[in-house]
Amino acid sequence: MTVVAVEAWVEAPLRRFVEDARTVLALLLHPSGQVVAQSGFARAIDVMSACALAAAIHASAGELGRQLEGRPFRGLHHAGRDRQLYLAEAPTARGPFLVLTVFDQESSLGLVRMYFDEFSRNLAAAAPPPPRNAEPVLAQQFEQDLNKNLATLFRRG
Amino acid sequence: MSSPFAAILQTLTRQRGVRASLIVDQNDGIVVDSNLQIGQDGDRVAALAASLYRKARLSAAAARLGRASFMHLEAERGRICAAGHNDLVLVVVADPAANIGLIRVEMMRAVGALP
Repeated sequence: MTVVAVEAWVEAPLRRFVEDARTVLALLLHPSGQVVAQSGFARAIDVMSACALAAAIHASAGELGRQLEGRPFRGLHHAGRDRQLYLAEAPTARGPFLVLTVFDQESSLGLVRMYFDEFSRNLAAAAPPPPRNAEPVLAQQFEQDLNKNLATLFRRG
Repeated sequence: MSSPFAAILQTLTRQRGVRASLIVDQNDGIVVDSNLQIGQDGDRVAALAASLYRKARLSAAAARLGRASFMHLEAERGRICAAGHNDLVLVVVADPAANIGLIRVEMMRAVGALP
């Protein structure tokens, strides 16, 4: 399974996760919805909508968790008939990242959770220190950055 | 409050050389109940053992050998035994020197009591 990343340091940990957990689709993104890496997607439009939905679901579930337990939920699982999804956060020195994982009967929730924990540790270990003058994510730059990242992932532009 | 599986798991873990016994959902690989010695990672064992058991079951069916009833994995530093009933798998982790015959008898008896 091919992994394509906008930032090179995420590629090796994500590739290992995809192979070990036998995912059908995997998406690494910032909580803002900005895509960082993907595996298994064929179209940029699908990545774009999956990122937007994952970021929104994570924000809603996080707030629900805070209201119920005083802290955000650790992971979110949804079981469909043939495919299941797991959405969880991986903290790094560069801030948290979200991972949206889709898997089928070749894998299981237990395996995905287990390998996600390993991935989370590997990603944190691989993360370079945050840049000193990191620019905030601004609404006017968001679409421009998203298009740039999608072009990188799908070799356009 | 103890689960309906507590007595089954306790009986298995009392066997000499048994480090852990778990009831696992076969499809999800998630622990339903467990009785673990200190240092055993139940979630990891459950996920891997359920995946192995599911694949063994599918392999047995593909090879036209019928239903798989018992799986035994022997490794350098331990053994994993699994026996399934409906959607549940009974998993035992044991020392290499454990008496696997006795453990198997207890597991087959226990698996018959699963819902």
